[in-house]
Amino acid sequence: MALEQASLLLSRQLKELNKSSVDGFSAGLIDDDDLFKWEIVIYGPPETLYEGGMFKAHLIFPREYPHRPPKMKFVSEMWHPNIDQEGNVCISILHEPGDDKYGYEKAAERWLPVHTVETICISVISMLADPNDESPANVDAAKMWRENFEEFKKRVTRTVRKSIEEL
Amino acid sequence: MEPRSDTVQEDFNYDPDRNYDEVIMAQQRIIEKEIAESQPLISNLLTFDEIVEEYSDEDSVYRHKIEDLKGRYKNMRKTRGDGNCFFRAFGFSFLEKLLQDADGYKSFVDVVHKSKDMLISLGFPQFTLEDFYDTFVDIVKQVECPGTVEKLLETFNDQGLSDYFVVYLRLLVSGHLQANEESYIHFIDGERTVRQFCSQEVEPMGRESDHIHIVALTKALQVPICVEYMDREGLACNAFNFNPSDATDEADPKPTVTLLYRPGHYDILYPL
Repeated sequence: MALEQASLLLSRQLKELNKSSVDGFSAGLIDDDDLFKWEIVIYGPPETLYEGGMFKAHLIFPREYPHRPPKMKFVSEMWHPNIDQEGNVCISILHEPGDDKYGYEKAAERWLPVHTVETICISVISMLADPNDESPANVDAAKMWRENFEEFKKRVTRTVRKSIEEL
Repeated sequence: MEPRSDTVQEDFNYDPDRNYDEVIMAQQRIIEKEIAESQPLISNLLTFDEIVEEYSDEDSVYRHKIEDLKGRYKNMRKTRGDGNCFFRAFGFSFLEKLLQDADGYKSFVDVVHKSKDMLISLGFPQFTLEDFYDTFVDIVKQVECPGTVEKLLETFNDQGLSDYFVVYLRLLVSGHLQANEESYIHFIDGERTVRQFCSQEVEPMGRESDHIHIVALTKALQVPICVEYMDREGLACNAFNFNPSDATDEADPKPTVTLLYRPGHYDILYPL
């Protein structure tokens, strides 16, 4: 029954997102039979290094959704302080309360049941525009962002190009 | 069962490549699963003679206090210890009361109807809010159709429905705290704003409830709550009344819901 609630909520979001698209991303299922596995394409936000990119990611929901957060993982190659080398997105709202493995400051907002695919994607877009280098998941990228911005820019531009070629 | 040698008996060597947080979280899930399998979300009615067996003969303070409760209450129901026990205990007990109180039911439905727009105006995402609201209303309506205690018990032991009910109660508390920010800001620790407090301590599932959550729920729903505190101090339980009205010259209204608090946990009490 808990599973039924989660499926219902996810299928309603899918319908809603298909009906009226939201700026900045597109969303659908990886496999039409599985509501818990989504494929997202994030459009690199305008006036940022990521502009023009079409970054593919998977959003995987747990059975306990919406009481527990989904995991988001980029399939496209990414270079960003808050995305680890495997593509996992590390932002505070995708972490459960009490789960402190990335050492976020206490005030950071955690997962809440009211979050949706849309609010998650909006947070990811704002993360692309505005990296948080205090709790980097990719330490090398964070260091480069701080110390060698020109090189950082080049790396990101390469991923932007690659993301379109691979789409 | 023999402990597996690779996990328990080997000397501990820190392996920097291993993600220990993942291991701890996996362990946490196992513990939660064990609790879920051994405790219903809301139990059947229990007598105090069944409760007293939880305490050893030497534990005279608690045994004494259970005798004290026996003088004032006839039964109790236990709730699962999953961090949501306050909200779940309140929710079940309140709807159970409304089965016998048509006027109370009507005014509660009014409060609930008004709450949706209030929460949306505070900036909660409409899409999910409506989802929680709709399920919440469906459960509340079970009271009038006509409801039975058995049906409510079944609903509150259905994890999906029961958790949705808890989510919406948490949103109501969050909404009340944010709408009355100036009354609560001084009661929040750790230099946090009311909004931050709500998103860290009120809205997330599994976060335990404190005094401030109870005060806010009482006022948001206009429902008086009594909590019997059972700790190691003194010989009797201390009853504390939470009232919807701030007027001090009025006598305490009769509590609609009475809960038993034992450190870290809330259960439901049934007065004699």
